[in-house]
Amino acid sequence: MQHAFPPNPLHMTLVEAAEAVRSGEVTAVALTKASIDAFKTKDAAVNSLISLDEAAALEAAEGLDRLRDAGRLLGPLHGVPLAHKDMYYRAGKPCTAGSKIRADFVPSYTSTALHRLEAAGSITVGMLNMAEFAQNPTGHNAHYGDCHNPWGLDYCTGGSSSGSGAAVAARFVFGALGSDTGGSIRLPAAMCGVTGIKGTQTRVSRYGAMPLSFSADNVGPLARTARDCARLMGAIAGHDPMDPTSAREPVPDYEAALDGNIKGMRIGVPTTYFFDGADDEIVAAVEKAVSLLKEAGAEIIELPLPHMDAVSTYGSIVSRCESAAIHGEWMRKRAADYAVHLSGRIYGGMAVPAAYYIEALSRRGPILKAFGREVFDKVDAFVAPTLRMPVPTLAETDIDRRGAPAISSFNAISNNTRAINYLGLPSVSAPCGFDRNGLPIGLMIQGRPFAEARILKIADVYQRMTDWHERRPEAAA
Amino acid sequence: MSGELEQLIEQQIETWTGVAPPSDVARAWAEQLAAVIDGFEALRGTLAFEEEPSGFEAALQATKE
Repeated sequence: MQHAFPPNPLHMTLVEAAEAVRSGEVTAVALTKASIDAFKTKDAAVNSLISLDEAAALEAAEGLDRLRDAGRLLGPLHGVPLAHKDMYYRAGKPCTAGSKIRADFVPSYTSTALHRLEAAGSITVGMLNMAEFAQNPTGHNAHYGDCHNPWGLDYCTGGSSSGSGAAVAARFVFGALGSDTGGSIRLPAAMCGVTGIKGTQTRVSRYGAMPLSFSADNVGPLARTARDCARLMGAIAGHDPMDPTSAREPVPDYEAALDGNIKGMRIGVPTTYFFDGADDEIVAAVEKAVSLLKEAGAEIIELPLPHMDAVSTYGSIVSRCESAAIHGEWMRKRAADYAVHLSGRIYGGMAVPAAYYIEALSRRGPILKAFGREVFDKVDAFVAPTLRMPVPTLAETDIDRRGAPAISSFNAISNNTRAINYLGLPSVSAPCGFDRNGLPIGLMIQGRPFAEARILKIADVYQRMTDWHERRPEAAA
Repeated sequence: MSGELEQLIEQQIETWTGVAPPSDVARAWAEQLAAVIDGFEALRGTLAFEEEPSGFEAALQATKE
């Protein structure tokens, strides 16, 4: 790939950085030092980092450079520094999950996602800030400090993968793992102006990832571009014997699918649910994105989506019930060690009858099949705003300080993303503009189960026609 | 939500889990269950006898790319 080598190597995309290492234009050590330096000098205001592992990262980078000098590359991420949400286990290293309760937890095994990324040649420079136990959509954290949006430090980053969105947007690192149970990859991607993908439920192994909701947890990446995400997904997707729930579906070459051609592809625009009460600026940005996709050759089809009342109701309780089960013991013994908003959220989940929870899970398959018939027999993908509102401020969504009045704005953030988790569909968020406050707007693209390549292809075509993903915030490295 | 329902929910959680409301915010989250109850009421009669959670994995395969 031909590209002009920028003065700051962190301004390259992940794919450009990997190609620069491969071609010898830059070393893994140089990239890793640049990333570490960016965290050290620029992160104080953003607060995206929980821990930096400088010595281990540089040692890994030196080893990768020696390999490259010997004519050997580990894989498509050779020499690329990454950082990850601090909920991925590594044997012998602390993993806080953004919590006080697990501040000293040291796992005895390493997550499959970390293992696969490093087997592909990436370097882990540190672990990133996140919502406590991955359970808020804003980026607040009472224990490690709130994460701040690089586009406006008073604004939410989105959550729960707050540090992942902020660190990628601020060009501290080329990509990051997040996790997504109700929008936790796509919300920070949208609010921070980067690209993030949640695969089909079961697409990526969850072995060694902190559990929140057995039915809705997803491991996935955030990076600058759809192509970057394709490369990262290619490294982590696929069956894992250590996670028997992971899909046995073959993993296609996601990057090879990005051929720039969506001529004749049928793209749906929902006439139900996803635009309800959406801010005019958000609607306008998504409509403009749709018009560009049409210009690229896609056929645009407006259509209603089935059973959205059920999706909304059922989707609102699944992760809350499962989280209530996981956290029951700590709620009995250490409730005061949770942030106020989190103990409150978990508490509510404890009251939902088991019969309702099982009804919600039991209807999931039939509703997904209805989507197959009534949506995906008519369109190849459908688009929506990632969130319906402009990026809120940290202050207006701060339940711990404002109390109950902040709950409704807090909950409204994930209306669109949470519905997709209930359906288990693959979903990507890509930046599609900026709001009146100068904060990013996200376009969310969904496809059939295991259609990750298709939705990445649409996002890639869109990014070939726009430059939203190339813009850098002032707080960036 | 009526005070009576709020009390019932607190008693239910306390009885089944041994957890008291950790804060007023927790009570406010619990109050929001009234909307969830309304949502389930509106969906009554839609669950078929044979449906079960494992149908989701089959549906992923049945509707896949």
